[in-house]
Amino acid sequence: MSQANRTNGNASLLLTVFLGLAAVVGMSRWLDSRRPAVDASIEEETLYLNATTVKRLSLGFNGLAADLYWMRTLQYVGNKILDLPPGVRVDNLGQLDLKLLVPLLDSATTLDPQFMAPYQYAAAVLPEIDVREAIRIINKGINANPSSWRLYHNLGYIYWQQEDFTAAREAYGQGAALPGAPAWMTAMKARMLNEGGSRNTAREIFARMHEEAADDLVKNMARARLLQLDYFDQRDALRRLLAGYQSKIGRCPESWREVGGVLQAAKVRIDSSAAPLDPTGKPYVLLKGKCDIELDPKSGVPAK
Amino acid sequence: MEKAEATKLTHHFESFRMGKVWRVLAIARNAFREAVRDRVLYNLVIFVLLLIGGAIFIGELSGGQERKIIVDLGLSAMLLFGVFIAIFVGVGLVYKEIERRTIYAIFAKPVGRGEFIVGKYLGLCLTLLVNVVIMGAGLSAALFYISGGWDPLVLRIWPAVLLIYVELMILTGVALVFSSFSSPALSALLTLLVFIIGHFSADLKSLADSVGSTPASLLFLSLYYLLPNLANLSQITPAAHGQIPAAAQVVPVLVYSSLYIVVILAAATLIFKQRNFK
Repeated sequence: MSQANRTNGNASLLLTVFLGLAAVVGMSRWLDSRRPAVDASIEEETLYLNATTVKRLSLGFNGLAADLYWMRTLQYVGNKILDLPPGVRVDNLGQLDLKLLVPLLDSATTLDPQFMAPYQYAAAVLPEIDVREAIRIINKGINANPSSWRLYHNLGYIYWQQEDFTAAREAYGQGAALPGAPAWMTAMKARMLNEGGSRNTAREIFARMHEEAADDLVKNMARARLLQLDYFDQRDALRRLLAGYQSKIGRCPESWREVGGVLQAAKVRIDSSAAPLDPTGKPYVLLKGKCDIELDPKSGVPAK
Repeated sequence: MEKAEATKLTHHFESFRMGKVWRVLAIARNAFREAVRDRVLYNLVIFVLLLIGGAIFIGELSGGQERKIIVDLGLSAMLLFGVFIAIFVGVGLVYKEIERRTIYAIFAKPVGRGEFIVGKYLGLCLTLLVNVVIMGAGLSAALFYISGGWDPLVLRIWPAVLLIYVELMILTGVALVFSSFSSPALSALLTLLVFIIGHFSADLKSLADSVGSTPASLLFLSLYYLLPNLANLSQITPAAHGQIPAAAQVVPVLVYSSLYIVVILAAATLIFKQRNFK
């Protein structure tokens, strides 16, 4: 074969590769555009294999399988949040209908019982969906890691959230007795019975959760709850201030400007329209005629 | 006169023994060279790409668990790649020599069949050692990168790396046993089955205990003792949590593995000695 023929042959093969690739890309795009939407019931189908079977089949790769289940959990919750219509806020994950969350977290923790992140996630996120399952998963973790005080903190948090302060006290007490447990676990135990429902206790719990969390969702949730506690304090103070104004003037203020001086004197952070600012820096909305306030719809503080 | 004769005999015996060692080492070196020539170590490129990809993207997906996941990923890939090399290269070690008829040239020289088997085995073990050490170093570097500096996990993964290597040594031996009497495809399949069943050892024992019939119980118990208990060598998950196995746990496992390797090499030699190449 002559040199010219060989060059021509190579050029046509190269052209075929490029044209073929372009056609493949085009076809893929065409197929994607015509693909019917995935049936939601299929997407939410229960996992085929339970965690124990997966562990048995993992051939020593159970740690990696646990990681895959963990990442799938994060993707699952993340995608549910992304699928929400624009403008809809997630104050409670219970509204997301996270049917697969329990089996996913259960699988991750069965495959690798020492993997702490899924337990922490189960304690922070799962109670809004299924409290009993959340407690079961944390207890499973405690059985596998009896020396981990963090799991007792997670269990105490779930009970505290359910306002079962006696069980929360017991959980914090058991955790505090473990070697390496920080002093605040003992303090938390003491607080549970006398001031379990107080904001200070809540602030302490969420501050610790924020400190301990590795996952951003849990961290953000704890941060949001801390902001909310600050908002509750500010709301009480503003209500007192507005009630004082009403008892003095005989009516509620029509605008923030009317109480601007009082707000400044009370060293409340205000904007140019004299509206006090919430912990995320958004102005509070004055409910005219009601002597009350509410959060700006764009505020980052959870309303509930 | 007697003393001189004894010295001569000892010298002769020593040189024979040393010659044996040199012959085994020469075969091992050749087997290693062949594996390198066959581009077996190219899998390191895929491993490095996997680690780089993991180190860059896992941070986004793991919710703060990138260190654990990179160790799981790295050690699992090390085991998986190693198993593939042990199986697919291991089953060809003997077969290729027979197929290419180079075995006649080898046995025309003063090389024993046992020396040939042990040499081939050591050659592949050396290939796997290079592979595992480079992968371990790559994994340590990835951990260094992810943690942004020194991380205790950089050192704590190495006992698990050692146990992975021991597991690969056992599998190489198993592949060699099968390849000494059957075709490469069947040997690969059987070795893969041993790898799978080796991780189900605990189930074999509990099956033997729970099954009602005595013959079935004996069968499961025999399988439990005959097949290698690879689950003992599984330390990937604890390593990802930074746990170092205690010496009291590792030493008996290493003794068990060494004994098992001696047994399978002896069995491979025994089978190979019965083969007629005419």
